[in-house]
Amino acid sequence: MNDLIGQISICIERGKVNKAAPYPPDMREQDGADELTKQAIDDGIDPNEILHGCMMGMQKIGEKFSRNEAFVPELLMSAKAMTAVMAHLKPFFQSGNVKRKGKFVIGTVAGDLHDIGKKLVAMVVEGNGWDVIDLGVDVSADKFIAAIDEHPGCIVGMSALLTTTMVNMEKSIQGIRAKHPGTKVIVGGAPLSTEYANKIHADGYAADPQGAVNLLNGF
Amino acid sequence: MNSKELVLSAMKRLPVPRVPWVPFVGCHGGALICVNAIEYLTNENNLLNGIRKAIQRYNPDGIPVMFDLQVEAEILGCELVWSDENPPAVSTHPLTDGKTIKDLHIPAITEGRIPLIIKTAKTIRGEFPDIALYGLVTGPFTLAMHLAGTDLFMKMYEEPVYVEKLLQFCRDVSIAMSAYYIDAGCDIIAVVDPLTSQISEEQFRQYITEPVKKIFPAVKNKGALTSFFVCGQAQHNIEAMADCQPDNISIDENIPLDFVRDICEQKNISFGGNMQLTMTLLLGNETDAQQNAMECIQTAGNTGFILAPGCDLPYATPPENLEAVTRLVRDPYQQQVISTLEKHKSTPDIPDMSDYGVSDKVIIDIITLDSESCAPCQYMVESVKQIAPQFKNIVEWREHKIKHKESIQFMTALMVKNIPTICIDGKITFVSRIPGKQELIQAIQKRINEKLYHKIRVRKGSIFILGRDDNEIQQVKPVVEQAIRELGADVPLVEISDEKEILSFGITRTPAVVTATYKIKSEEKAPSVPVTKEWIKDLL
Repeated sequence: MNDLIGQISICIERGKVNKAAPYPPDMREQDGADELTKQAIDDGIDPNEILHGCMMGMQKIGEKFSRNEAFVPELLMSAKAMTAVMAHLKPFFQSGNVKRKGKFVIGTVAGDLHDIGKKLVAMVVEGNGWDVIDLGVDVSADKFIAAIDEHPGCIVGMSALLTTTMVNMEKSIQGIRAKHPGTKVIVGGAPLSTEYANKIHADGYAADPQGAVNLLNGF
Repeated sequence: MNSKELVLSAMKRLPVPRVPWVPFVGCHGGALICVNAIEYLTNENNLLNGIRKAIQRYNPDGIPVMFDLQVEAEILGCELVWSDENPPAVSTHPLTDGKTIKDLHIPAITEGRIPLIIKTAKTIRGEFPDIALYGLVTGPFTLAMHLAGTDLFMKMYEEPVYVEKLLQFCRDVSIAMSAYYIDAGCDIIAVVDPLTSQISEEQFRQYITEPVKKIFPAVKNKGALTSFFVCGQAQHNIEAMADCQPDNISIDENIPLDFVRDICEQKNISFGGNMQLTMTLLLGNETDAQQNAMECIQTAGNTGFILAPGCDLPYATPPENLEAVTRLVRDPYQQQVISTLEKHKSTPDIPDMSDYGVSDKVIIDIITLDSESCAPCQYMVESVKQIAPQFKNIVEWREHKIKHKESIQFMTALMVKNIPTICIDGKITFVSRIPGKQELIQAIQKRINEKLYHKIRVRKGSIFILGRDDNEIQQVKPVVEQAIRELGADVPLVEISDEKEILSFGITRTPAVVTATYKIKSEEKAPSVPVTKEWIKDLL
């Protein structure tokens, strides 16, 4: 692997956003994801390779998360470093030279106004190479369906933090399946479990943001 | 010993005649008196009547006054969105909308819904002096998150001084709120900080320990006991929580109770929890609730344990389920019945694997998290991958990533408990340990030998002679008969001359000879579909 890409990968894994960023302390004053990506592009390195390096970094932090060696703040710092890289790579996406993994439509279900968990998942999934369409909170089945109409082939993520709103998930899944039978739907949120996800015929349950990424990458 | 003494004794790890039971009735109290969560959490009469009703129906040993982690946030300028069957949700974060920490103030006893809680606590205290009363305060980290939004997570790295300052402020809010509740008659102050589950132990100790360690002595100085509530997967922080020296730690179903029991025992504090809120209390029936309660009691033991749901009870929890728990807790006979009752809960579709491995090939199943994202899993898969070609077509290996439902069922069926694990023909062979090359070869060879023996034992076959007319049959038959004779074999010879039958063998040109061996795969019972599939795969 190109040395520069290796360094970018480390910045993503460690959450080193740019030179000015104080975190992580042992990388103070060093170039971060921002500077290194700019340099890589200036050097003529294929943006796809840069993206690949980033994904390896995200994968490593994801593994640490799964092993309970990293937590939400670390995942978010990596996602933030990823955003810095993405700002440089965006023109290449638009020109079609670099491909994203797919589209992920996410929202908190009807009647539920909790934002935190859903937002964390959106940030981490985006950092892992997916296009994320965040529909916000209190999202009705119709709104999910309209988003699938607009983004064919997307995978849908539903969040519910409340025992009363998680029942709306089932209705939303039924609504989606009636119109788009092949659409994959994954669910998450504090009161949920794999057992419940199976019960409502979701395609998967993730207990945390990394779990959602693993599910998406597995489809 | 009355209920209150029971709870307080358990909190202090003193001997108790039975495990105390504290149903965390929050907005569920509204359901008990047929009002919605808004009417319940904002109206003095409703709150009072709901608690009275809960005490009447559940005969609890302790009960919270109000379970709503947004009381402080509301006073400090977070906008709330209310819903009918849940506590409100915070929708805006003042510190992201231009306010600074200096603009915030410690809530006064007259502000927001504090007077409502104080008045209710006083009344309940007077009416039910024998029940332990819990005052719930929002933990510093959760309150900080309400005030600053999710940016707080990143600020922990980018602006540690700011985060420390904010947490000091939230600590002072908790201390003030605790004092109000203790003065109103609460026996126990629960510091509820669910969001700490999302940070590492290192960050917990860096940011949370100091503020919380000041809250608990402040509460104790005023004569009340302390409980530290967390929900979510916070297992990694339990020790750090215990080191904050509360009297008690309360957890939900995400954390194994025995894990918490052991740590609390070491630290000489008590613990509580962790009945399943959703699958059991909300969606299950009375037997489910009793069995779950019994499991908790059996795991926890009699010392320093308080039986409670993992968190705030869902609004629509069937009261019968909670009443069933009360009966169980108060009746040793009922406990015996439940302990001996066979678990009737439906288990997931677990394939019957008793016949697994009855195929010619040796099947190696590697149960992993995912070899692409888990290093030990990767090494284990690679060790098999390297060896398999040496056995050419005899050994077949498969990886089962347990992120898929089928793989979990498969894992359960093979009774695999640890990841990664290698099973050879369905038998657990290497657990969480990458075998050496020779070791793996030996294990496979051993299995091949076993199978060879088995195969020799069960072999049975036929030989078919296919010819379109007698002439063709006679060309071949004497040859085959001579061969059978010379071998002294007991093989039936079958002649086939029907055109359709010949074609069904896939043969167009005759005369032809086909041999077939039959293997007994199951006797006296119908095998399961997944197992039969394994047999069929051998034929393809």
